[in-house]
Amino acid sequence: MANNDDLAKLIIGCKHGDSKCFSQVVDIYASRCYGYFYRLTGNRDLSDELLSELFVKLVEKIASYKGGSFEGWLFRVASNIFHDYLRSKQRRKKLLDVHKEQIESEIVEPKKSGNEQIDLLEIQLKKMDDDTRELIMLRFYSQLSFKEIAKMRSEPIGTTLAKLHRGLKKLRELMK
Amino acid sequence: MNSRNDENLKELFERFLSAEQAESGVEDILKAEQILRQHPAPEPDNMLIANIKAEIAMRLPAKRTKIFTKTAYRVACAAAAILVVSAISLSLFDNGASESGQEQYSSMIPTAIWESDDIATDDADLAIFTIEIEQIEDELRTLQLGESAGNGDSSLSQLEMELVAINNDFWKE
Repeated sequence: MANNDDLAKLIIGCKHGDSKCFSQVVDIYASRCYGYFYRLTGNRDLSDELLSELFVKLVEKIASYKGGSFEGWLFRVASNIFHDYLRSKQRRKKLLDVHKEQIESEIVEPKKSGNEQIDLLEIQLKKMDDDTRELIMLRFYSQLSFKEIAKMRSEPIGTTLAKLHRGLKKLRELMK
Repeated sequence: MNSRNDENLKELFERFLSAEQAESGVEDILKAEQILRQHPAPEPDNMLIANIKAEIAMRLPAKRTKIFTKTAYRVACAAAAILVVSAISLSLFDNGASESGQEQYSSMIPTAIWESDDIATDDADLAIFTIEIEQIEDELRTLQLGESAGNGDSSLSQLEMELVAINNDFWKE
């Protein structure tokens, strides 16, 4: 992983439109961001799509990054992309409910690719509520501190800590 | 930056829980994170990463063109603003100049008259006007003394007409 100085240089390069710097940022963060999307959606195709969208957004929005934790900024963009996806999914669900009879055969949930295996963790994560699951993934993949996560979610640090503790405790129990 | 590595979880928990509960809380978090590490999410395909990089490379020139266009527009706007300001300044300057010309309003009065000691003789119009007034004064005096040989009414009306004519002539000039 790049140290802070290297990362700062890369970000400056990105701000100047240097494609090599963008490529390096992709190399550094693609895996973690992909893991974040995958654990939230449980679907590879969808995660591919969301990851591509994230880096396209990165190109568009890099000028708006004004310092501070880059991970925090990047995962905030990732979180917004995921929430946009959830909203569009909800809209499609509503549309499906309205026209259920006509389009019942159309499956809204994206299907899994043939070679995908559902692991135990994925099954247990689905038993948790969306917010807790997202919080756990944000903490694990973004590697942000509680303070940064609380700031990102605009909630008191005690609330973030309590929610995450409850969630992880539950996950531990489910995984036993 | 307040990184995760600098974070003291136990200390953080102890702000909200007792020391014992804090210890248990930290253990819960560390063990759950251990589970997450033991079940890694799949890695993105190399093909996907290559596609993303290609997409970025494709978008960058467009972005640069956008930036260039934006800059060009800004420069054009600035140039236009400078031109407008210059034009306004010039027109104001011109007005100022003509206003200063108006300050030469005194030139409408001939310098000879302006510097004259006897305006009544130096100004031709005024001299004529003065002569006419003197003529009228004479006629009036004649009338008052009854020296007029003709009809007094007609002399008065003639005098009146003359006055009107003089008045018109004066204002015409």
